[in-house]
Amino acid sequence: MKRISIFTAIAFFVFQHAVAGTIKVVTTLTDLKSITELIGGNKVAVTSIATGYQNPHFVDPKPSYIINLSGADLFVTIGLDLETGWSPQLLASSRNTKIQKGAPGYVDASENMALLQVPTAANRAEGDIHIYGNPHYWLDPLNGKVIARNIANGLERVDPADKAIFEANLATFNKTIDDKMKDWQAKMAPFKGSKIIAYHNEWVYFEKRFGLEIVDFMEPKPGIPPTPSQLVKVINEIKSNNIKVIISSPYFSTSSSDVVAKQTGVKVVTMATSTGAFPTVKTYFDVFDYDIAQITAALK
Amino acid sequence: MNLKYKSGGYFAVVLFVAIFMGSLSASAQVPADSTSKDSTVADSALLKQIEAQMQAAPAAQPTGTQTRSSLSFNPDIGVIGDFQGSYISKGEKNFDMYLNETEVSLQAAVDPYARADFFLSFGRDPVTGKYGVEVEEGYVTTLSLPAKLQLKAGKFREAVGRINPTHPHALPFIDLPNAYVNLFGEEGLNDEGVSLSWLTPNKAFYQELVFQTTAGYTESPAFVRSEGNHLIYLGHLKNFFTLTDNATLELGLTGILGPNDSAHTTNVGSFDLTYKYKPVQMNTYHSLTWQSEFYYSHNNQKEDHSVDAIGLYSFIQYQLAKRTFLTGRYDYGEKPYNNSIKEQAYSLTFGWYATEFSKMEVEAKTTEDNIEPRFYQAWLRWIFVIGAHGAHQY
Repeated sequence: MKRISIFTAIAFFVFQHAVAGTIKVVTTLTDLKSITELIGGNKVAVTSIATGYQNPHFVDPKPSYIINLSGADLFVTIGLDLETGWSPQLLASSRNTKIQKGAPGYVDASENMALLQVPTAANRAEGDIHIYGNPHYWLDPLNGKVIARNIANGLERVDPADKAIFEANLATFNKTIDDKMKDWQAKMAPFKGSKIIAYHNEWVYFEKRFGLEIVDFMEPKPGIPPTPSQLVKVINEIKSNNIKVIISSPYFSTSSSDVVAKQTGVKVVTMATSTGAFPTVKTYFDVFDYDIAQITAALK
Repeated sequence: MNLKYKSGGYFAVVLFVAIFMGSLSASAQVPADSTSKDSTVADSALLKQIEAQMQAAPAAQPTGTQTRSSLSFNPDIGVIGDFQGSYISKGEKNFDMYLNETEVSLQAAVDPYARADFFLSFGRDPVTGKYGVEVEEGYVTTLSLPAKLQLKAGKFREAVGRINPTHPHALPFIDLPNAYVNLFGEEGLNDEGVSLSWLTPNKAFYQELVFQTTAGYTESPAFVRSEGNHLIYLGHLKNFFTLTDNATLELGLTGILGPNDSAHTTNVGSFDLTYKYKPVQMNTYHSLTWQSEFYYSHNNQKEDHSVDAIGLYSFIQYQLAKRTFLTGRYDYGEKPYNNSIKEQAYSLTFGWYATEFSKMEVEAKTTEDNIEPRFYQAWLRWIFVIGAHGAHQY
C-alpha cells in the first residue's frame, strides 16, 4: 500500500513538471500572440482573445474567454485603455491572481513606449479619445521591439530559468525587424510625403514611420460614423490634394468610402491592422509585408 | 511555471530558516571560531541561490520612467442619467416626464485581494414625486480565493437568470417583463448578503455555480424579510457555450427558497436561454439576440394551501445598423399569490445608440389581462453617461 502511494506521488510529481514545462499565455491581440510565440519559442502556449480581423476597441467579453484566463501564467495587454471595455472585466472574473494588474504575470506591452497624440485634456466631446495617447502603437515595426522587450521581461519574471532562451529569441526578433525594416523603408521611400485619407485614427504610428501624411479621416471624430458633411469635406480634400488612397480596416464598413471612391476615383485599400487580419498575414512581420505591398500598389 | 518559481522561493525560505536554526543550535554547542564544513557548503549554495534571485528581480523591472501612471487612488467614478417620458391609456394622468434615476458608480481595487463596486441611486418616488438616495449595489469581491472561488459580500443584484443581474439602463427595453415584476418587483431581487461562485474545472464550456444567501431587507412580491431566522437562499448554474466564432448560447438554471408574506416559504425555479449571433468581424454593425426566461413559483400560504404560478418573457433584439436596434418582446405572467389573474403583453422598442455613452429608446406596449380591459403604454428614454463606465455582461 505504502509502495503504491509513493509511486502515485512520484507519478504526480513527474506529471506536474511535464505540465509546468509550458508557460500558458493569454494575449488580448493577435500581434501580442505572434510576438510572444517568437520570444517564448517552444516554452510557451499562447492564445489570443481577439482575432486579427475584429475591432480591438469592441471585443465582446464572452465568459468563454475566462476559461483560458483562469489557468494562464502570463497575460499580455496593449494597455493605454485600448481594451478598457472588455479586458478588466474578464481579468476580474478570471479568479487568477497571477495575471492581475501589478502581479508578475501581467504584461503591459506599452511600458516605455514613445507615445503619440497624448491629449492635453480629456473631453468626450472629441469622440473616443484615449487619455494616455494613441494606443495603436504596434503598427510601427520599431515599436514591436519595445513590445518584445516587455514580453521577454514578463516571461523572465515567471520563468527565470529560461532567461537565456528568451534573450536569444529577443535578439533574433530585433535583428529580423532591423533587416526587414531596410526592405520596408526602401519600398516606401518613393512615396514619402504621400497624402492619404484614413477611416479611423489608428495609423499615426505607421504614418510617421513610413513618411505618409494622413490629411483627414472618414470618421468626423474618432468612433463617430461618417456623416454626409464629413464625406463632402473628404471629397473636397481628395480633389484639392490629388489624394489617391483611403486606407481602412477589415472591421469597418466600406460603404461610405465606396461613395467617396465613386465621386473621386480614389482607391479604397483595406489594410491589415493585426496579425491574422487576412489568411496570408500569419505573423507580426506579415502585417507590414502585407500593408506595404497594398499601399505601394495603390499609390503607384 | 510561476508555481515552480514560487515553490523554489518557499524552499529557499524553509532552507534558510532550517539552516539559521541549525547554525544557532550549532553555535550554542561548539566554540564560536569553529564552523562545520557541511554547513559552509549549504550556506554558500543558499547564498548563491538568493543572489541569483535578487539579481533576477531587478532585471525584470522596467528600466524607464513611469510617466503615464494614474496619480490618484480615487475610484473610477461615473454618473448615469436616465430621463424618461411616459404615456398610459388608462387613469387620470396619461402623460408624464421625469428624471427616472441618477446612478453614481464608484469602482476600484481595494487591495491585491479584493475590489469594491458601489452604485448609488438617486431615484424619484413614483407616488410622492420626491427624490431619495439608496445604495443600489455596494459589494466587495475577492480576487484571490483558491480553487476558482469568488466571494462577494454586501448588497447586490442576485444571480437570477439574465434580467435581474443587469442594471435597467443596460436593458434593451424601458419597462421590465411582467412575469419578472410579478415575482421580484420593479427593483428586482437585490438584497444584502453573501455570494460564493465557483468556476467549475470544465474546459469544454464555461460553467459557473453560484450560491447566495441574503437577509431579505429588500422586499419583493415573492420574498419578504423573515421575522424569525429565515434567510433567502439562491443557487444558479450558468452554462455558456461558444457554438461558432459568431454565435453563443447561454443556458441558466436558478432555484430560490425564502420566506413570504404569509409567514411561510416560497420556492422559485427559473430557466433562462440566450442565443446571440454577433459576427466577430462586423460585430459593431449587426447582431441578433434571442433571450427567454421561464419562471415557476410555488407559494405556500397556509399549512395545506399553496399557489403555483408561472410566467415567461421572450425577446428578439435585432441590430439593424451600427447604431439602431429593434426589440420585440412577449410577456406572460400569473400573479404568484393568485394564479387566476393572468396577463399577456406585447412590446416593441426602437433604440438609437449614439455612442457607448448615450442612447435613446422609444417603446410601445399593449397589455391585456382577465380583470380589466386592454390598455396601452409608451415610453421614451434617454440614457447618458459621464465619467468611467464599466463593461456590461455579455
